[in-house]
Amino acid sequence: MASAKLTNRLDDTLQDLDRELGKNSDFKVRRFRVFGRYPAAMLHFSNINDQELINTNILKALMYLPPHLPETDRTSEQLKSAILQDALYHSESKFEREMSAVVVALLRGDTAVVVDGLDEALLIGTRQIDKRGIDQPATEQVIRGPREGFIEPLATNIALIRYRLPTKSLRVETLVLGERSHSQIAVCYLEDVASPKLVSEVKKRLSNIRLPAILDTGYLEQYIEDNNISPFPQVQYTERPDKVVANLLEGRVAILADGSPLALVVPTVFNQFYQTVEDYTERFLLMSAIRLARLVALIFSLIFSSLYVAIISYNPELIPTEFAVAVAGGRAGVPFPAIVEVLVMEITMEVLREATIRLPQQVGGALSIVGVLVIGQAAVAAGFASPITVVIIALTTIGSFATPAYNAALALRLLRFPIIVMAGVFGLYGIVIGLILIVNHLLSLKSFGVPYLSPLVPGNFNGMKDLLIRAPLFSMKKRPAFLYPRDATRRSSASVSALKEPPSDVLSPANNRENDPPKEPLP
Amino acid sequence: MRSDREITMIQLGSVVSSSIIGVGILPLPLFAVRAGGAGAPLVAMLGSMIGFAGIWLLVALGKRFPRETFVQYSQSIVGKWPAAVGSLLIIVYFTVLTAFGAREFGEVVITSVLKNTPVEVTVIVMLLLTAVSCRQDLTAFAYIQYFYLPVILVPAWLIVILSLKNADFINLLPLWGNEPQGIWRGGLSIANLFQTSFVISCIIPAMKHPNKALIPCVWGTVLAGAMYVAIVAAAVGVFGAEEIRLLLWPTLELAKTTSLPANVLERMDAAFLSIWVTAVFTTLHCSYTLTVVSMADLFKLKDYRALPIFLLPLVFMLAMQPQSIVQMYTTIHFIGQLGLLLTIGYPAVLLLIALARGKRSDGVDRKSLEKNGLPDLPASD
Repeated sequence: MASAKLTNRLDDTLQDLDRELGKNSDFKVRRFRVFGRYPAAMLHFSNINDQELINTNILKALMYLPPHLPETDRTSEQLKSAILQDALYHSESKFEREMSAVVVALLRGDTAVVVDGLDEALLIGTRQIDKRGIDQPATEQVIRGPREGFIEPLATNIALIRYRLPTKSLRVETLVLGERSHSQIAVCYLEDVASPKLVSEVKKRLSNIRLPAILDTGYLEQYIEDNNISPFPQVQYTERPDKVVANLLEGRVAILADGSPLALVVPTVFNQFYQTVEDYTERFLLMSAIRLARLVALIFSLIFSSLYVAIISYNPELIPTEFAVAVAGGRAGVPFPAIVEVLVMEITMEVLREATIRLPQQVGGALSIVGVLVIGQAAVAAGFASPITVVIIALTTIGSFATPAYNAALALRLLRFPIIVMAGVFGLYGIVIGLILIVNHLLSLKSFGVPYLSPLVPGNFNGMKDLLIRAPLFSMKKRPAFLYPRDATRRSSASVSALKEPPSDVLSPANNRENDPPKEPLP
Repeated sequence: MRSDREITMIQLGSVVSSSIIGVGILPLPLFAVRAGGAGAPLVAMLGSMIGFAGIWLLVALGKRFPRETFVQYSQSIVGKWPAAVGSLLIIVYFTVLTAFGAREFGEVVITSVLKNTPVEVTVIVMLLLTAVSCRQDLTAFAYIQYFYLPVILVPAWLIVILSLKNADFINLLPLWGNEPQGIWRGGLSIANLFQTSFVISCIIPAMKHPNKALIPCVWGTVLAGAMYVAIVAAAVGVFGAEEIRLLLWPTLELAKTTSLPANVLERMDAAFLSIWVTAVFTTLHCSYTLTVVSMADLFKLKDYRALPIFLLPLVFMLAMQPQSIVQMYTTIHFIGQLGLLLTIGYPAVLLLIALARGKRSDGVDRKSLEKNGLPDLPASD
């Protein structure tokens, strides 16, 4: 059945299609006569297409013979061309001979018209699915920058990218993945920037995916990443079209999937996870400082609580004596060793955090108040935890909130626990052993062959302008070298030299003396 | 399994530096003072020069055989079986060096921070960390060494600079010490600490441009040598030569006497020692990688990923052989002196024979390289 072809007998075709799809109550068959004389039927699933369009542009257009055509008997070829070229008012239409293709098209929301005497069905793209409006991206808020975020339908998302990059070198290639979902996957890149090897590798990895359904780009990510067991994400996801465009301009490749509001960007290096859109839209000096703060937060979230455990349990002599005494006083009533105290508090914090995400928004606020008050204040009052532990846990938690990328923050949050255990067992020595293991792992990790810590390792001076700090835009003349872009220059030097010329002070008092007589009277 | 010949000059320099700076820096002022008294910095300098001689020999050999490791070219220089014996000795020697490095640091840790932990635990932790990291290819090896170099150098220099407050220049006089005849012997024992840089014999063939290996090696040695001289000078300046003779790990004591301004950290020794794990790790990583890669070359294994774990029990048993710290240092010293024959004498003999027999493989290689256009590319580092 799957490879069967359509016959030119209308009733046979309808019978076949009815056997395939007839058990669905939303599958509709509407018989009519094309141009008032050729028996035909129109088939569609009623809930996923535009009824208005079907009525006026398909049914009406096909029922009446266009006034400029003579009323004669037509051969099947003539009929086809009359329908397609003279009668139908719809751009997305084509004839299809394969039964299975017709079925897939119907399921995707197209409308099929079968005419007696034709051995091909006319497929018309009438798919219309309700979608939400383009909203502020919920997880990547910015103060300064565009407010648009991707939504679920792929077409809208591609439109959002195209509207920012109306250049002929933007390529959007689609492939269909998912044995049951037949999801459209779009691979976007700039042909004169992205490395052709990268593009073909992305397409190769994508085409190897065998899944029943692609429900989100997250499924794709796990099939195209280099190392599946690493806690660190090797593919960046974003719901901001401007971020995707910026990445395309650097020479990366973006992957979008129908039904997912998140685009994937490959290859990904670690520094992307603490960069934000504002880093580039605001002044470079301030944003460099803020980026450093973000980096501190990242490191905080990883090691701060374990440092506390190590110092309290093994090396209290490191901290100044007065403070050490204060800490010891705070811990006086706590019956557990520091590691148990910190682990219990950290796990409680994770539970709280998870609860706040899962709860409906109206209750979430109440929970966080209860969480903070009860868990924080009461735990201290009950002698369950020392005040300083609460401070430390709060700092690590806030630190992990400050990381812009949720999945990278998640990795560090998770790795915090083994490090706390190492700190409890071996003190500072254990922390360093744990950190060395993590860093060695990061150093051996790759995303599409790009070392994960590029451009820090292997060293690339030009790349380091956008690593810890964000250098002024005009100084970043080259695209990241580790992406091997076809066109390495980001900005022509002409635009830079124009920028470096001294500004002309058109409105300075020296050029605009008040008592100077106006040279020409104003009109 | 082998790397893609991507290692750059800066990475090679870092490998040299971080392979040299290891656990040996803790007793370093003691070794230097025993030999030269107040002339200890001079001993350290001399030791660095002797150490560099070994590195230079390897670079010279590496240039003659740019795409072969030590094990491979020694076979083409002196023949299959004599070379196999030499390579086996090298492998055994660096296995021992790895074991003793881990043991030495294990002793330091249990003596100064984890006082209730058995030495077996600290040693096995260090060895496991090394073995797990040795499973990666040589490019990742170079990345690791390159990444950690600042982590090693910055705290050490910080200690040196902060200790200047307590230092007295008079302790360093006379500059050549009171018994200058001991300087030579001392230089040799300092040169022991440079032996781990033998790992460049595996790294040079994995470089992008093996013929440019000398300059990074010089820089790497200068960085490490300057560090050594500075640490020795700072220790002698603060404690004086006679006091150092009584200290087991003078560098650690140096860290104890310093504190950060504004009382951020009251004592630095525990923090310093923790960061020093990195330095020890990089050195062990070098010597163990050398062992494993040479073994893979000798037995013609394509994939050496299983070797580090496989050898681990043996290394651990070796590390546990010395009964005490004193016996450990006597053994390390004795083996180190013998090792100099292996890491400097043997390459020197090989180079002489290679010169006499006119053996080289770079000519052939150069032709093939020219075909691929590699050497004409500008260095990208």
